[in-house]
Amino acid sequence: MSELKPTNRKAELLLDAAAEGRAAEVYAMDTVAGCATTFDPGWEVDPFGGVASLCQPMEADLYGCSDPCWWPAQVPDTMNTYPDWDAGKPSAQNDWRELDAVFPKK
Amino acid sequence: MPSPRRRLAAALLLLALGAPALAGDLILTGAKPDKLYVIDAAKRTVLHEYRIPGANGLVGSLVPSPDGKRVYAVINRMESIVGVDLATGATVFRADLSTPTERVKDFFALTVTPDGRELIAYEVPTRLKPSEYEVEQPRFAVFRTDAGLKAQPVRVYPAQRRMHMLLMRPSGKSFYALGFELYEYDVKTGRLLGTRGIQHWEMPGHSQPDLLAFWPVTEPTGVFTSPVYAEAPQDGKPTPTTALMSLDVATGALDYRDFEPMSALIFSTVLSPDRRSAYGVYSTLTKIDVPGRKLAGRVPLDHTFYSVNVATDGREIYMGGAMCDVGFYDAATLEKKAILKLPGCADQALASLRVLAAH
Repeated sequence: MSELKPTNRKAELLLDAAAEGRAAEVYAMDTVAGCATTFDPGWEVDPFGGVASLCQPMEADLYGCSDPCWWPAQVPDTMNTYPDWDAGKPSAQNDWRELDAVFPKK
Repeated sequence: MPSPRRRLAAALLLLALGAPALAGDLILTGAKPDKLYVIDAAKRTVLHEYRIPGANGLVGSLVPSPDGKRVYAVINRMESIVGVDLATGATVFRADLSTPTERVKDFFALTVTPDGRELIAYEVPTRLKPSEYEVEQPRFAVFRTDAGLKAQPVRVYPAQRRMHMLLMRPSGKSFYALGFELYEYDVKTGRLLGTRGIQHWEMPGHSQPDLLAFWPVTEPTGVFTSPVYAEAPQDGKPTPTTALMSLDVATGALDYRDFEPMSALIFSTVLSPDRRSAYGVYSTLTKIDVPGRKLAGRVPLDHTFYSVNVATDGREIYMGGAMCDVGFYDAATLEKKAILKLPGCADQALASLRVLAAH
């Protein structure tokens, strides 16, 4: 924390609380799956450093990644944030043209 | 299970009486958005296509009841568990885990007591506060399976973090929970009875392993298996190596055995009835010589499958998950015998592929 500088009042309060032992415990992981708790390589590269061992085709893996929020940077998280992303599109291989990009809500 | 001779005698008696021959395996799988399928494995046909109301786009882990009359499923973005009558398709049990102020997820992990009376779910709760989410202590929630459609837990006890599979022991007194380690808990009290190594396994010269165990398959042997990846010494060099983990839920025997330098990914494995072979799937079908600790065969698949299972007689390999195909392969030759496309070709995604043996 010593290398981080607070940039607003809330962050200053957090630093004070941590220094006084009042900050809540931080839990690194609740589950192995789910919303970037995994450090496996993403969809860009397989464990061998290539692409041949990624799921074939990628549509086979699409809902297997969106349902447990496996790689939310690459695939929308249907578990919490975009639950309707796959609504009416039960087959990734047939419906992929209907799957839209998603954007954070303002 | 009756001996082969007694099964044959029963089949001959049925033939003599003019009744149909003994039925084969039934395969259970789920698909988007709310489908549960019962498949006749021998005929390669869908016997039943059921709709699960309120599945909300996800039919995930499937756990059959011990009597084979129901299947329990994680649904609704992992926030509900239902029990479905396999003869009628009716939802006969439902537990909605979340409340307006607490979001509760069950990441794949549930199990049922051998008498079928209680279901245990692993709950990951988050308190939804006006300006923040508070991560709460994960817990086991025990439900009575006759509690109907608004089931509430009858017992709740704290659990370790990072679980994704529960496996009931045949005694019904305790169950295993797989996470970063292998835990065993008392069913009645929730007391932690023991911890054995997964992340802290005792494999000399091996690195910390990597394990992905989302598919709770123990049929037909009562042994759960999974591929495990780690670096192991070969010719003095650390080499990425694939091992087969096996856990006999009856005896508690836990075994790891390396079988090949890592050359292909495997997502799930299953043990053959004679316990001499294991089969794994991902983008290839892998056969492992278990006593010989070596790769026995590998063939490419049409596409990635997540979940593998095996026929009760050991002659065929079944595979599903990911897309809409259920594959049937010869267990001896690894030759493709048939592909059954689910109606409407909806993705199975993370749904388990479970096998009910003929009765």
